[in-house]
Amino acid sequence: MVHTLLWVFSWLAFAYFVVYSVCQVAFTLIAWKSLADYRHARAFSPMDEVYASPFTPPVSIILPAYNEEAGVVASVHSLLDLRYPRHEVIVVNDGSTDATIERLTEAYDLVPVRVALRTQIPAAPVRGAFVSRIHPNLWVLDKENGGKADALNAGINASTHPYFCAIDADAVLEQDSLLRIMLPFIDDPDLVAAAGGIVRVANGAVIESGRLVDFRLPANHIARFQIMEYFQAFLIGRLGFDRVNAVLIISGAFGLFKRELVEAVGGYAHNTVGEDAELVARLQGYLREQGERFRIRFIPNPVCWTEAPSDIKTLERQRRRWQRGLGETLWRHRRQMFNPRAGWFGLFTLPYFLFFELLGAVIEALGIPVVLISWAIGVLSFSFFVIFLIVSVLLAVIVSISALLLEEYADRRYERPRDMALLVLYAVIQNLGYNQLTAYFRCRGFVDLVRRRRDWGVMTRKGLEQPAEVPLPERQAGV
Amino acid sequence: MASLLVLTAIVFVAVALALLIALAIRRIILARRGREHAAAVRRVRPIAISMLEGEDVERPVLSPGDQAVLADVLGRYARQLTGAAEGRVAEYFRGSDALARSQRELRSRRAWRRATAAYRLGDMGCEEAAPTLLTALQDPNRTVRAAAARSLGRLKIVDAAKPLVEALVSGRVPNGVAGEALVELGPAAVPELRTIAEHPSFRLRATAIELLGLVGDTADSPLAVRCLGDPSADVRAAAAGALARIGGPAAESALRSTLDDRIPFVRAGAAVALGAIGSREPLPRLLEMAQTDEFRPARAAAQAVARISPMALVAAAEEPDAGPHLHEAADVSVL
Repeated sequence: MVHTLLWVFSWLAFAYFVVYSVCQVAFTLIAWKSLADYRHARAFSPMDEVYASPFTPPVSIILPAYNEEAGVVASVHSLLDLRYPRHEVIVVNDGSTDATIERLTEAYDLVPVRVALRTQIPAAPVRGAFVSRIHPNLWVLDKENGGKADALNAGINASTHPYFCAIDADAVLEQDSLLRIMLPFIDDPDLVAAAGGIVRVANGAVIESGRLVDFRLPANHIARFQIMEYFQAFLIGRLGFDRVNAVLIISGAFGLFKRELVEAVGGYAHNTVGEDAELVARLQGYLREQGERFRIRFIPNPVCWTEAPSDIKTLERQRRRWQRGLGETLWRHRRQMFNPRAGWFGLFTLPYFLFFELLGAVIEALGIPVVLISWAIGVLSFSFFVIFLIVSVLLAVIVSISALLLEEYADRRYERPRDMALLVLYAVIQNLGYNQLTAYFRCRGFVDLVRRRRDWGVMTRKGLEQPAEVPLPERQAGV
Repeated sequence: MASLLVLTAIVFVAVALALLIALAIRRIILARRGREHAAAVRRVRPIAISMLEGEDVERPVLSPGDQAVLADVLGRYARQLTGAAEGRVAEYFRGSDALARSQRELRSRRAWRRATAAYRLGDMGCEEAAPTLLTALQDPNRTVRAAAARSLGRLKIVDAAKPLVEALVSGRVPNGVAGEALVELGPAAVPELRTIAEHPSFRLRATAIELLGLVGDTADSPLAVRCLGDPSADVRAAAAGALARIGGPAAESALRSTLDDRIPFVRAGAAVALGAIGSREPLPRLLEMAQTDEFRPARAAAQAVARISPMALVAAAEEPDAGPHLHEAADVSVL
């Protein structure tokens, strides 16, 4: 019985790695083509014209912040400093228990104001609102704690522009990132519903006044592995999904959306930890139901830098949360899965994430040990064992190095030869332990998902649009 | 079986090594190119600056590589320049082979080369490029057409107004790009825009009216006022936006009527326009709107009141039934 189980699992794992590798190679080829197009387009990208044009639509940037006293001022500084003709920054203080509000007040001379908020998307009560005397396009909402999704919804309710950009509080945008991510919307405003940019690991980079001034590899090994992971995830995976209009994930760290569409689907879902992917999946379903032509884009050149976990515990928490969020999203949108009406999104993207990202974690974590044991006790031949290693490790190494080549071709941020040599090393060794470790974390995330199944509720729908007023905060009402 | 395994392993290892070698070679090539380019930019920048400043100094003979870098540097500077300096850039390109080369590249088989050439021709400032750019406006590739449209606008080719409008009408060039090019043409584009303001497509009527608001004058006010009665809400909103800029004797009363439009964003547009015009007559209606209308027009009305009369706004905000929009506008207006 045990022998049979080992035999079945080993063959299953073998089939998994073969199909996964084929997908990765196909993604890599698509990515080469897409990046070549973007690279050539640099020469005729009308950035200056878009910046000067009266047709460039204004954007509201929403920054949810919970206990971000250490970095919120620098983040806001980088957002105010973006090269974009007209944008407002809305910081949503999500019930922080630290001095987030005080830091912002000191830095930007905030004064309390009464504001009118939409109520189309439900959100926890807003206790007060502030506007900066120095930068009149900086608003701060102080609300009761409700989670990141809730804070984003409050920001959407307060935004005054037709597009909004959701940003993580620890993220740093490159100066022209907003302009670049807006280009597809300007090219076809009726077609493009949302877009995400590339997220890179900021650990090790030198940041001055909210701007990245030098790109170095971090000293931390965990962060270095994640640099490689991000290259693969963004440069290989998402470009492939973008090619067939089947993007599932627009990173919560940096995404641009048409506000009215997000309002129409009810905003971000409160009861999931994967609110970014869940929103995109909902938009995909909604727009297809409406029978509208649309695109949800991934653009590889607007860059957002974010801090990656640099210790195992934080990494584990992050991966478990991501896995749970993915599972919740797939479960909620299971009706789109394998549904021909959902196009490539239903027939390819969702099954891909189900098999390779959610369920595949078990095979990735246990594949090599089980096959090793099976060979050792004579269940499988030596030939099988070697072929398995070739497919699961060597092909993965090739894909990792391809991702590095793509990075070198597309952007070449790490200019020091030593940094690149180290990245090559990490591209190889990530497949010999690190990937299995993160697969284990994902397995634990899957267990979390199953245990919390009762949390999977239905979406709360929107109500009538009646404006709500945020009064002056009590402590400053007399000002 | 064993030999097959060995062969497979060798193939995979060979592929991995080939990728590594490719990575190393590419890095070496890019690093060398980067160093050479930076050195060339350092060499030609003083020459470019002396040319732009009109200094009559003898210029050194440049290698073909340095000439290309100088053309690139001048092209980039030209985007920020007007007047005599822009003319001197054009003069340089007329005397070099960069103009002819870019025109030749517009016939390249690769779309990105054609698009790059079309874009560069706009930076060169030579009106002689107009015929080839007008041809490029019919290119099968959208990015090439967009680059050509942008360059025609930059060069202010008056004859391009009609083809640009046609490209806009047919959707062959993104609205924003064609619109921006027409704005660059300025008053030369007005006759064509007036024509498409009557086009059957409501999107084009709206774009035309919006553009007239940017490049037209009070002579276009009657057309914009007429468009406030258009069946399309997009056109009515665009007309309100245009009237905010060009005004006109009949604008205010027409916009006041538009405050009762059935579509919220049209009412909002009318409120914004009335705020820009600044007459006190619509104040009572705007105050009422700010208290009772839907979110978007109410906010626009409150902001219009703030522009017309901050005092009236502050007074109204003190009323017990002022509502959130007047409160917000009043609090922000006193900052």
